[in-house]
Amino acid sequence: MSDHIVADVSEIGDGERILVELKGREVGVFYLDGEYYAFANWCAHQGGPWCEGTLTGTFEGEFNRDTLEYRLNWVKEGKILNCPWHGWEYDVKTGVCLSRRSVKLPSYPVRVEDNKIIVTL
Amino acid sequence: MANERNLSLKKELIIDTDVHLQIKPDEIAKWIDEPFKSIMTKGHIGNPLPDSGWDRSMAGKIEKRLITGPEDIQEKLCEEFHIDHPIINSFGKVGKASMSRLAVALARGYNDLVLEKYLDDYPHFYGQITVAMQDPEAAAEEIYRMGDEKQYIGVFIDNTGPNPPLGDPRYDVVYRAAEDKGLPIAYHAYDSGFIVDFPRQNAGVETFFAVHVLTHPYAHFLTMTSLFEHGVPEKFPDLKFVFLEGGVTWLPYMMYRLNKVHSIRRFDAPMLKKTPEEYIRDQFYISTQPVGEPNNQEDMRKIMEVIGFDRMMFSSDYPHFDFDHPEGLEKFLRVNIPAKDRKKVLSGNAKEVYGI
Ligand code: FES
Repeated sequence: MSDHIVADVSEIGDGERILVELKGREVGVFYLDGEYYAFANWCAHQGGPWCEGTLTGTFEGEFNRDTLEYRLNWVKEGKILNCPWHGWEYDVKTGVCLSRRSVKLPSYPVRVEDNKIIVTL
Repeated sequence: MANERNLSLKKELIIDTDVHLQIKPDEIAKWIDEPFKSIMTKGHIGNPLPDSGWDRSMAGKIEKRLITGPEDIQEKLCEEFHIDHPIINSFGKVGKASMSRLAVALARGYNDLVLEKYLDDYPHFYGQITVAMQDPEAAAEEIYRMGDEKQYIGVFIDNTGPNPPLGDPRYDVVYRAAEDKGLPIAYHAYDSGFIVDFPRQNAGVETFFAVHVLTHPYAHFLTMTSLFEHGVPEKFPDLKFVFLEGGVTWLPYMMYRLNKVHSIRRFDAPMLKKTPEEYIRDQFYISTQPVGEPNNQEDMRKIMEVIGFDRMMFSSDYPHFDFDHPEGLEKFLRVNIPAKDRKKVLSGNAKEVYGI
């Protein structure tokens, strides 16, 4: 494991990402709501470049058995990363796949020192 | 980035039995005569070939991929995915063209376009002859016109649209032509055709999720049932039938259901001399994509064993939204089944069926 300076904090704005290559692996580094996240650019489905997908919201279903109220709410705007190949959706803060909760993409620790973003891998 | 990842794919011979193009109206217009040229380019309401308008991209979550020329196939499929021989199938909307004269002109123009633009300069590419089943005589003529072209290795039929269903005796002239030319028949449904064949269901469901889940099996169930109802595989014993883009797991269900009903109601399908399963295990093939995704992979191995490794042919369906990257299937087969069977699925069966 080693530390890699991937960018200056000024280089990734809120809701933005960069793609870098570390140890021969493509890594996406995201900045969202004041936190950094780093993942391998490799979708659990068929290996698509999920870090290059769009960040959008998604639908969540809600059902009240007593009132039979059934609603689809558009939620988490800008926090769902969609793999561009077939659209598997992931929560970008956790790497958890929304349709297969047991699937979680591997992430790498990120920290900031002296305005430098450092990924450990 | 993906270039170096598929190392074991490189070593395999892979034939992709289902690759698609997007041909725009003004492109196909260059290959057809008047008045059809003007119908394609001077319409008042856009593309004269109907689409049902469902949201494929999930509000943009899935990227838009296009193949606009042979270089795209070469670069994306042959170089990046390590496909040795792509088989080009396209222009599915011919099945939904409302004027049969237009459909016939489009099919001819499309076949000329693919031959000149995609096949002539790329000897490792293959294609299937698109026919318009609205006019079976013209479809047969097209098979005779194109059937001697070496890189045309099959006949491609959109099986969402044709009415009556495709076993009807009016289509026998098409099947005879294909058998004469030694070309298999390949059926491929289109989500855009769901609205034509299943209008009530199309109006009743709420999302493309439902349309896409149902289109391909519904269409294949209908086509296969109709073929047996009229004894088509018995009438044309040298003809091979390929069902594309339905995945693989639907086949056992249909095979055994057809057996069961045929045993009871042979009276309704008296052309058949054998059980449907016997015909299927002799003359029918399926392409793999979209390979079903059981939660337990072991289940897929069992189902494939039931189907038999002689019946399945790899397909990617690239560039459509549910394409299968060859790596997933190759890896699954490498881990779970003997090498000789893996090779059959990745290329051996297609070689035999299509004479590649
Ligand atoms: S590879 Fe990511 S959704 Fe299929």
